[in-house]
Amino acid sequence: MIKLPADFFKWGEKMTAMQAKGFLDGTIVTIELTLISIALGLIFGMLLALARISKSKVLRGITWTYVWVFRGTPLMLQLIIVYFAVPLMANAITGNYLNVSMFGAAVIGLTLNTAAYLAEIFRAGILSIDKGQMEAAKALGMTYRQAMLKIIIPQTYRRVIPPFANEFIMILKDTSLVIVIGLAELTRVSKQFAASGEWKFYFVAGAIYLFLTTISTFIFDKMEKHAARYE
Amino acid sequence: MSMIKTENIHKYFGKNHVLNGIDLEIFPSEVMCVVGPSGSGKSTLLRCLNHLERISSGKIYIDGVLVDHRENDKDVLKTDPKKVAQMCAELGMVFQRFNLFPHKTALENVMIGPVTVKKAPKAKAEEKARALLEKVGIVEKADEYPSRLSGGQQQRVAIARALAMEPKIMLFDEPTSALDPELVGEVLEVMKQLAHGGMTMMVVTHEMGFAREVGTRLIFMDEGKIVEQGTPREVFENPQQERTKDFFRSIL
Ligand SMILES: Nc1ncnc2c1ncn2[C@@H]1O[C@H](COP(=O)(O)OP(=O)(O)OP(=O)(O)O)[C@@H](O)[C@H]1O
Ligand SMILES: [Mg+2]
Repeated sequence: MIKLPADFFKWGEKMTAMQAKGFLDGTIVTIELTLISIALGLIFGMLLALARISKSKVLRGITWTYVWVFRGTPLMLQLIIVYFAVPLMANAITGNYLNVSMFGAAVIGLTLNTAAYLAEIFRAGILSIDKGQMEAAKALGMTYRQAMLKIIIPQTYRRVIPPFANEFIMILKDTSLVIVIGLAELTRVSKQFAASGEWKFYFVAGAIYLFLTTISTFIFDKMEKHAARYE
Repeated sequence: MSMIKTENIHKYFGKNHVLNGIDLEIFPSEVMCVVGPSGSGKSTLLRCLNHLERISSGKIYIDGVLVDHRENDKDVLKTDPKKVAQMCAELGMVFQRFNLFPHKTALENVMIGPVTVKKAPKAKAEEKARALLEKVGIVEKADEYPSRLSGGQQQRVAIARALAMEPKIMLFDEPTSALDPELVGEVLEVMKQLAHGGMTMMVVTHEMGFAREVGTRLIFMDEGKIVEQGTPREVFENPQQERTKDFFRSIL
């Protein structure tokens, strides 16, 4: 039997107000990163999905390539490229550094990545709708655009919510990868405080992530039930 | 003046020659019934008329206006997509499998065409939608979602939905063949009413009773051709072609 020291479950010292504030700020950054990236990724991903099923070969080719690249390379590398490589590339081309803030770079990297995943989710959702729906809409005189907006896309909600929730939670957790570009989000904050030797800070971060993913799951479950009301 | 006129329509799916030179003319208030074996091209013909499929070659006139003219699978007559959508709305379509919008109530299904396509004010569209549901005898189900309705009720809502666009012609593609036998009557009744009201109709159906009672003309199709036509009585009682005789023998 390993014997735990008497103070194992106690804080060596109380969490200071400064540390508590640090955690709060880090949590807010994590939430902001998640919500902004998902919101932008939602719009961009939907456009990608529509392009991916369009009649234009060029559009389909471009979006296929996009999805291939962003799903086939690590998110962490994508973040590094956006923050470290793009400014250098800009310098090489134009002679000027492109200044991106850490937060901006993090949002761009996360958005570009999640859009690729969301595009595939939306595309599958749209393709799962019975063809007769588009035909009925067209027979009423709707244009493709009207049919998509009023008939097809609203019917995808229920089917898309579970994989969307999954992606949301993935991104929420993957915001921790932003640590590579130095943004003070939740994981980095815990690491900084733990550097003083107090390893328990890591578990505080873990508990906060778990809390966030749990309420997200709860909310998405409610949304799914609501979206299924007509079935 | 004919409501629908087609000239030498051909349709290929790949190498499959599905419509092989269809010449057709339907006059106002006619109820044209279309019969024929499975795969003879009946659905394809209806779908070509309202652009759900594009013809490979030939001409289509609706109410005297040339709306489609193609050769070798290419448009000779160029029309912009908005216009095409408008023309489709002149032909109401009722599908075998209803194709109601499941996320909308019965009432919303009927309203959505006028509201979206014609930009009709909501209140007016709703009033009209209720009147149409009344007409097809199901106004008490106005606020139900389609999943809560029987097949016969769904098909009646689908008819009301098509009528809401005030089409000049109604196309029916086997409107009762997905229904339980006891529900067929209520849908045919609504169609009869429409016919008596003077609607021009084209009906793919194997309901011979309906064709005989309501149909003004009947065409028999086989392998993408109109093999025989006449009044339903003529064709039923005295078919001229062997293929027609065989077909009636097989379905009776
Ligand atoms: N979208 C399509 N792509 C390829 N072939 C098709 C398509 N739609 C129909 N066909 C073919 O065209 C032919 C005619 O089909 P159509 O549905 O018009 O026949 P139908 O007379 O309506 O038959 P049924 O009585 O079974 O409904 C069939 O051989 C069918 O396989
Ligand atoms: Mg058919």
